[in-house]
Amino acid sequence: MRKPFLYLAERALLVLISVVVLFPIAWMFLTAFKQPRDAYSLSLNFEPTLQNFVTVFSDPWNLGSMVLNSVVVATVTVVIAVPCAALAAYSFSRFRVKGRKFLFFLILSTQFIPAVVIVLPFFLMFRQLDLLDTRIALIIVNLAIVTPFVIWMIKGFIDAIPTDSEEAAMIDGASRLRVIKDIVMPMAAPGILTSSIFCFILTWNEFLFALILSRRDAVTLPVGLVSFRTERGDLWELMSAAGVMITVPIFIMALFIQKHFTRGMTAGAVK
Amino acid sequence: MKDRLLPYWLLIPAFIIVLATTIYPLAYSFITSFRDWDLTESRRPGGFVGVENYAYAASESAFLNSLWVTTVFVVTSVILTVILAVALALLLRRTGPMHTFTRIILILPFAMSPALIGVSYRFMFNPEFGVLAQGLGAVFPALQGVPWLADPLLAMGILVLTDVWHWTPYMTFMCLGGLASIPRETEEAARIDGASNLRIIFGIILPQMRGVILVMAVLKTIFALKMFDQVVTLTGGGPGTSTETLAYFIFNVGFRWFDMGYASALAWILTAIMMFISIWYVRMLLSERKMATA
Repeated sequence: MRKPFLYLAERALLVLISVVVLFPIAWMFLTAFKQPRDAYSLSLNFEPTLQNFVTVFSDPWNLGSMVLNSVVVATVTVVIAVPCAALAAYSFSRFRVKGRKFLFFLILSTQFIPAVVIVLPFFLMFRQLDLLDTRIALIIVNLAIVTPFVIWMIKGFIDAIPTDSEEAAMIDGASRLRVIKDIVMPMAAPGILTSSIFCFILTWNEFLFALILSRRDAVTLPVGLVSFRTERGDLWELMSAAGVMITVPIFIMALFIQKHFTRGMTAGAVK
Repeated sequence: MKDRLLPYWLLIPAFIIVLATTIYPLAYSFITSFRDWDLTESRRPGGFVGVENYAYAASESAFLNSLWVTTVFVVTSVILTVILAVALALLLRRTGPMHTFTRIILILPFAMSPALIGVSYRFMFNPEFGVLAQGLGAVFPALQGVPWLADPLLAMGILVLTDVWHWTPYMTFMCLGGLASIPRETEEAARIDGASNLRIIFGIILPQMRGVILVMAVLKTIFALKMFDQVVTLTGGGPGTSTETLAYFIFNVGFRWFDMGYASALAWILTAIMMFISIWYVRMLLSERKMATA
């Protein structure tokens, strides 16, 4: 039997953790539905309004175009990075290619490069090519961060798939590419989906690249937050409304992959 | 048969991406770091100046300040995150509805945009109408009217807090994975022998977790060295330069003053620090694994 004191202490701790985790998020959601005058008070007794959402989507904030930029940049990044990464991950997982260890280390070590180092040359290059403030520029730099990570993650998932059915199919005369397409990819699908969502979240939240490479046309949601800092001061209720727009899609995705996420995260790092 | 070349073909698309998006820029900024290039004066890179940019960094107080700020930030944030994550993982490895609920919501801080985290903590610590500033003042009268983000030490504290809030969940998940992979027999035997919970944790579980904790600490160090978003949205490097980390300083040199040569040199100093830690990390892991198999 466990001591009642310990039992209570454990429950209390769990409640405390939940409060620490949820409070900042809840406060932002509440503020998003407050009228400006209520946003500057701590009162919970306010008349909820949707006005802030209407305001952020209209002139001069135009959150709509930022939402579109974020969606396009994150989606295209995922669509390019994940298939390339999945093929590379398969190769790393199944073949003993010459210099494989070195190549894998090379790819992983790019994860340890600070983003500022990458963005400097890209800024100069895009300026030359007149690509500053375009979505293409953002997609290209985001690939730098995301691709190595996704290779590493998908490799963890493919490593966990037994090779028996692949070998059986090859003995029956199926080509390697067929095996990849018809056997491995379907089996790795949950892992690939998890990695895709993870990759989407990383790109969606990316701030440094977008801050430097966009001015007006290609601004994404996280950078858009900064624009609510005006000469009149910080417009908290609008910032919160924009914050809700950033977090809701991501929270839904994150909760969707929560279980796999824990596993995918640990597989690569610990083993 | 072309099947023999297939492994390479599969690697090519990913490699083109990695080469073009990381290796090339790295080489480019390495070369730029030896040049004199003020973007406000010229569109073209200036002449080579040897190690002048690096030498300048060593004598500039703003750079040395940013190194110090980064060190303080990294050390506190890594220690706090790792300790909290281990404690949380030990708490959450039991099963129960409350444990499951906590585990599920734990993913939210990690999924939240760091820029937004900075913004919301800035809001909550606003001395006039911030809910945390007011709430803490009401509970502890000594904290009434404290100018949270205008105080150098407190601003750093809040910056660390946002980072710990963001990363502890991820590290907890990693730690839970590590906990799940250690065998339970010794622990159960000790429990039957009447060992206390604390003895089991410190005498049996934690020694077996050394490898995982090491990985967590090193990964967290690298994430902390890269941290940038919250500096922009929470403190703007201030008050003064008290939260100006190296990443933020490089950003200022490059994109506020447009000194490309100097910014590249600084960026390479940061890269060198991170590479040094990564190599050290890989070696530690390898020796750890040798110890485990020996």
